[in-house]
Amino acid sequence: MRNVCIIAGGQNLWGVRQATQRDMIQEAGKACFNDNPAVTNKDIDGFIVGACHTERCSFQTHLAPQAAECLGIKPVNLCCRVELLCATGSTGIILADAMIRSGKADVVMVVGVEKLYMPQRWEIPFSELGTCDHEFDCTNGMGLPPPAFATVAQQHMKLYGTTEEQLAMVAVKNRRNGLNNKNGQMQKAITLEEAMSSRIIVRPLKLTDCCPVTDGGAAVILACEEKAKDLTDKPLVYIRGTAQATQHQMSANFNNGIWSTWDTLRIAGEQAYKHARVTPQDIDVAQTHDCFTISEIVEMEELGFCKKGEGGPFVQAGKNDFGGQVAVNTDGGLLSCGHPFGGTGLRQGIEIMHQLRGDAVKQVEGARIGLTHNLSGLISAHTVLIYGRDME
Amino acid sequence: MSITEGKYAASMDMWPLQGKKFTRIYPFFDNLKEGRLTTTKCKDCGTLSFPPRGVICPECLSENLEWVDLPTKGTALSVTYEEVGVPIGFETPLVHAMVDLGGVLTLFSRIKDCPMGALKVGDEVKLVVFPVDPQPFDGKKGEDNVIQRVFFCFEKA
Repeated sequence: MRNVCIIAGGQNLWGVRQATQRDMIQEAGKACFNDNPAVTNKDIDGFIVGACHTERCSFQTHLAPQAAECLGIKPVNLCCRVELLCATGSTGIILADAMIRSGKADVVMVVGVEKLYMPQRWEIPFSELGTCDHEFDCTNGMGLPPPAFATVAQQHMKLYGTTEEQLAMVAVKNRRNGLNNKNGQMQKAITLEEAMSSRIIVRPLKLTDCCPVTDGGAAVILACEEKAKDLTDKPLVYIRGTAQATQHQMSANFNNGIWSTWDTLRIAGEQAYKHARVTPQDIDVAQTHDCFTISEIVEMEELGFCKKGEGGPFVQAGKNDFGGQVAVNTDGGLLSCGHPFGGTGLRQGIEIMHQLRGDAVKQVEGARIGLTHNLSGLISAHTVLIYGRDME
Repeated sequence: MSITEGKYAASMDMWPLQGKKFTRIYPFFDNLKEGRLTTTKCKDCGTLSFPPRGVICPECLSENLEWVDLPTKGTALSVTYEEVGVPIGFETPLVHAMVDLGGVLTLFSRIKDCPMGALKVGDEVKLVVFPVDPQPFDGKKGEDNVIQRVFFCFEKA
């Protein structure tokens, strides 16, 4: 098996965009090629596009050839689309990694994009009614998932004493981290008082506990180690381990109603650590799926950064911040950058690439090993990737 | 839209397709119309599935399924009130509760007609069945080509 490196990555401006899906594919692709002028569209032999709502919001199936055409890419190996809602981007990286590792392709580009904002805003929550089990969850109004994560938060507070202040601290940290991220949706810091007094969405979750709805795209290029040495003069960043676990789709089948424990993430994390031959204590920097503030707290526990139930105090002590045990969501996370489903996992990988190359906007000094995590659907699938400056 | 004026588009319809003509779990909806909440159980391995399965038992892959009744009353284990951003067609607050159906099944369901704070953890809830938009289809000449549909959620008992 060959070693695989991430050699380029870029994203467009995320937010409410005056741009179509096709425009954003070009913007993200251009940003990716700008990151590394040594690699061009002619070097790409495999191409994966990630997009969830392309049929719904852009009336476009068979997206991969269209996206490749937009970027002047003529893949001679695989050209396809991948979809796993919020984890679409990182799933694309897993597949690209596997293709290269196995020798199926040498240089693979993964583009992730999401166009959600329509001329009338009501279409967004309506389209989201296709994301959980459509016939049995979404018909009860469960599309965008604040009620599910509010339930997680309620249970976590009751079982472990987690507080609303601890939730708010995640938002304050991630907004602070994203303040100078020129591609982020929010780019605005908040105080603890502002977070605590923001509008209630679903108690105990307030507006600043929830990531926004986002249009956006991102792209990365992966290459086998031999090609990577020719195609970049920057420090090599390796993909050391990838894992994904899934245990349910419908709410009725989620852990017998105990939603504050995410066994699926624990399984995915353990697999990724094993493949990468590292432990949670080895991780210097992580981008975890902070779709809601409570998510980051549960993730600290299930990824093994702290004991189960201690996520709240871990956050309160700043152990997930710069200078702490592991710097988490160093570019602002979903809470600050926004969350275009196809793009998020790629954005996380790009930030880890910058951190390990040593050229991040907000740098963790001496970072050698990084982790990304996505959850998707009704907390039903978990995707964990581990990157390293070297393979050992 | 001018070119689709007067047409029904299932692709813009949030309710499930119903009727024997369109789904193999049509008994679920037929039973709902009688006020019964039902699902499929495997006659070989005994696994109760939810949602109901139209073809096989996901556990042992047997095709030997039967329809069984679920309790129509339960207890709220948790309650959430969504105050903003609810999908079109739903009222604010949009209330969801985790409902324990007598230990048989835990469902995360909508609670109908529930003002802020009206349902609390530990309260009893009961099944409510309501009509939803009928579903027109391309039928034969003279055929009744509209399927009357229902759906379900819970309300405070």
